[in-house]
Amino acid sequence: MKRRRPTGRRLLNLLVSGFAAGAAGLGILVLVWILAGVVQRGVGALSPAFFTHLPAPPGIPEAGLGNAIVGTLVLTLAATALAVPLGLLAGVYLAEFGQDSRLADNSRFSANVLMGMPSIIIGVFAYALVVLPLGHFSGYAGIVALAIIMLPVVARTAEDMIRLVPNTLREAGLALGAPRWKVTLSILFRAAKAGLVTGILLAIARVSGETAPLLFTALNSPYWMHSLGEPCPNLTVTIFNYAMSPYTDWQQMAWGGSLLITFGVLALTLLTRFSLREKAR
Amino acid sequence: MFRKNMARFKNDGINPQGGAGQRPAPPGLRARPGFAPVRGDAVFRLLTIVGSLLIPLLVAGILAELVWYSLPAIKQFGFGFLIFQSWNPVTQEFGAASSIFGTLVSTLIAMLLAVPLSLAVALFLVELAPPAVSRVVGTLIELLAAIPSIIYGMWGLFIFAPFMSDYLQPALGKTLGFLPLFQGPPMGIGMLTAGIILAFMILPFICAITRDVFLLVPRPVRESAFGMGATTWEVTRKVIIPYGLVGIIGACFLGLGRALGETMAVTFVIGNAHRISASLFAPGNTIASTLANEFAEATGTLYVSSLIELGLVLFLITYVVQIISQILVRRLYRAWSVGL
Amino acid sequence: MKEEALTLPAPRFFIGPEDVREASADAALTAAEAGPKIITRQLDFYYGENQALFDNNLEVARQMVTAIIGPSGCGKSTHIRVYNRIYELYGDQRATGEVFLDGRNILDPSQDLMELRRRVGMIFQAPTPFPMSVFDNVAFGLKMHYRLSRGELADRVEEALDGAALWDEVKDQLHRPGTALSGGQQQRLCIARAIAVEPEVLLMDEPTSAIDPIATAKIEDLINTLKSRYTMVIVTHNMQQAARVSDFTAFFYQGRIVEFGPTTQIFTNPTKKQTEQYITGRFG
Repeated sequence: MKRRRPTGRRLLNLLVSGFAAGAAGLGILVLVWILAGVVQRGVGALSPAFFTHLPAPPGIPEAGLGNAIVGTLVLTLAATALAVPLGLLAGVYLAEFGQDSRLADNSRFSANVLMGMPSIIIGVFAYALVVLPLGHFSGYAGIVALAIIMLPVVARTAEDMIRLVPNTLREAGLALGAPRWKVTLSILFRAAKAGLVTGILLAIARVSGETAPLLFTALNSPYWMHSLGEPCPNLTVTIFNYAMSPYTDWQQMAWGGSLLITFGVLALTLLTRFSLREKAR
Repeated sequence: MFRKNMARFKNDGINPQGGAGQRPAPPGLRARPGFAPVRGDAVFRLLTIVGSLLIPLLVAGILAELVWYSLPAIKQFGFGFLIFQSWNPVTQEFGAASSIFGTLVSTLIAMLLAVPLSLAVALFLVELAPPAVSRVVGTLIELLAAIPSIIYGMWGLFIFAPFMSDYLQPALGKTLGFLPLFQGPPMGIGMLTAGIILAFMILPFICAITRDVFLLVPRPVRESAFGMGATTWEVTRKVIIPYGLVGIIGACFLGLGRALGETMAVTFVIGNAHRISASLFAPGNTIASTLANEFAEATGTLYVSSLIELGLVLFLITYVVQIISQILVRRLYRAWSVGL
Repeated sequence: MKEEALTLPAPRFFIGPEDVREASADAALTAAEAGPKIITRQLDFYYGENQALFDNNLEVARQMVTAIIGPSGCGKSTHIRVYNRIYELYGDQRATGEVFLDGRNILDPSQDLMELRRRVGMIFQAPTPFPMSVFDNVAFGLKMHYRLSRGELADRVEEALDGAALWDEVKDQLHRPGTALSGGQQQRLCIARAIAVEPEVLLMDEPTSAIDPIATAKIEDLINTLKSRYTMVIVTHNMQQAARVSDFTAFFYQGRIVEFGPTTQIFTNPTKKQTEQYITGRFG
């Protein structure tokens, strides 16, 4: 049989390997490009005034986004308070009671659908659900929208983490005569605590950078927040508005806000990644 | 992320054969009707059911609300809504064509770029890089997914779009300018820029699953292929990719679903023009960007209803893509083919 | 070399002298004249920091079957995986020492790996059909290493499948997926795939431990036929199998070669106490 010379094959392999390394390099390049840009343009905006002052019309010095920062924190925490208990309950059902019942299968499927849904659609839903009946934009609508985004993430993570707890712990608790709910809350949750916290942090990270669901629910406001029943200031919508404006000092503040959001989210993400790795070991 | 994906997809809803059967039901769980040793337990169980029920209810609720509020626009425009090009709040004529077109084209560009790049990065991470490098690079690529959409938008508008208009678009215009795709003034913002940014946003998702696919090929199969004297690329192309093809396609559908729904990044750079152009350099819009730009200030039932109908269209497209992706990726984790 | 029709003894569960065959006289002469096919000198092997093989010295006879036996974890598979340098897929594994294939040291960095792996084929414990048709499985290596016309390719595939005693069973199903075959057939497919590229050595790592007994008998039959053309090294934990098919046997224990010699001698008259204990089932 006539032999084939391997040089062509080797060359092709080399080219593809080069392309693969190049692709990875390109990905990293984009990441660094974005982060560097955010730092470079945002760091100048971060002053003590940035964190404590209210927004002002363009051209006025010493303006800040204090209200927006507080607003985002409040909205995120409120959404967390709404989504986490519900998500944990759902997760308990999926892991402990439902397992392969039809409701459980439906829930899991729906959770995946919900997680893949564009967040702006969820914003539209919250608009129809809360804004229309109330007749005006409000923080409540924004909280509902964010909570809906968080719910399936918390539920699926909770299910995964609770499943990991070995049966022996459950049996030990029940054997002592403890009721089901006590076994779950006191024993299982404590055993799965690290994983549960990680899942919740991941959901928070995901939601704190969201803009679309707030665009027509919580809207935005130039004042300090004093009621959830009216439009609430928040960082992401402010960034959107300021960035789209023609004023450079507003754009500068948008970069400052971007810097805060980016590094907050990245820090949370990396934290959860490393704690997940520890757990997996 | 590998372990997380394994756990998530094993327990998934579409095929109940997954993780649920792996450990025997915890004791006392399948509460027989009426069996509640302590009243607290019955209440607790009920609460968990409520929590779990909420999720499918939400999905159904979203669909219902979208349909309900779209009705005025559906009654007014019928199916023509999908093909009318004009979008005029003044004359109350609303057509989704340019938004749908923009959604599809920007997503297509993103997929054409992201799929080969993702496969290449996955190949690098699994076969070419030493373990330490693979871990670091893998984490960095995953960080691309963690960056919020609005940040991509900021970077896109203020940093990448000028780069496009100063370097990439003129270069494309010079070399490929005979194609109508690459004609027109290099403004920086527009369909092509949006597509490219989308590509990097969905890259980490497709890459993560593809990486899992590569890692799932059993060692003896991989060693057999190398043992025949094949190069790394030959093994990947002829054995590894066919082995996990179903999962890879599922990963692509997942990326597709994300690209379709991306809002903020696209809104910043697509130019927001309700028109269909032949040129990729021209501005356009997507369903998501239209909603983002116009919803808050829309007045009048027909206007709002038309916007919500846009949302309904997006919901339906995303829903179908989601289902397909889930079915495909589930088959992967159920160990497809080859005697397992 | 004339081929002998060898009949397999019926499977039994203890070894006595009547179970062991004599190596054919002709084959022994050929081997003695040309010298060993593979000579291993002072081979050490490391998984990271852990040493797995200690000072292995072995001579694999040309066109004979050499069996490698020993308890689990003693280094049998590790040893043969050096012969095609498949361990190099894993960064933390390394080998030191020399392994001469027809006089050339294959551990030398200048050794062309693709060519080495064509000359030294490997069959694994679990059958590993590729996700493609039966035909494409066998053609895999042919298309890589040879320039063949369509007709030539079809001929070579038929020849290889015939050589693996599989042709009659699959000739009407060449385009079915390789995975659709039974376990025993899949393993013979892997053998066909390996012999299609005209190797000189066949390495088999417990080739029948995942196969049912009837299919095992067929494969052992096949091994007897193949050895007239190839030098074969078989790792097995089944001592009866070693006794049935091999001409020489090496006994490994904890990474060292304890004893090596003609199979008849190892099984009837081992010189080392450990060998005797293993063969009589005292441990392992």
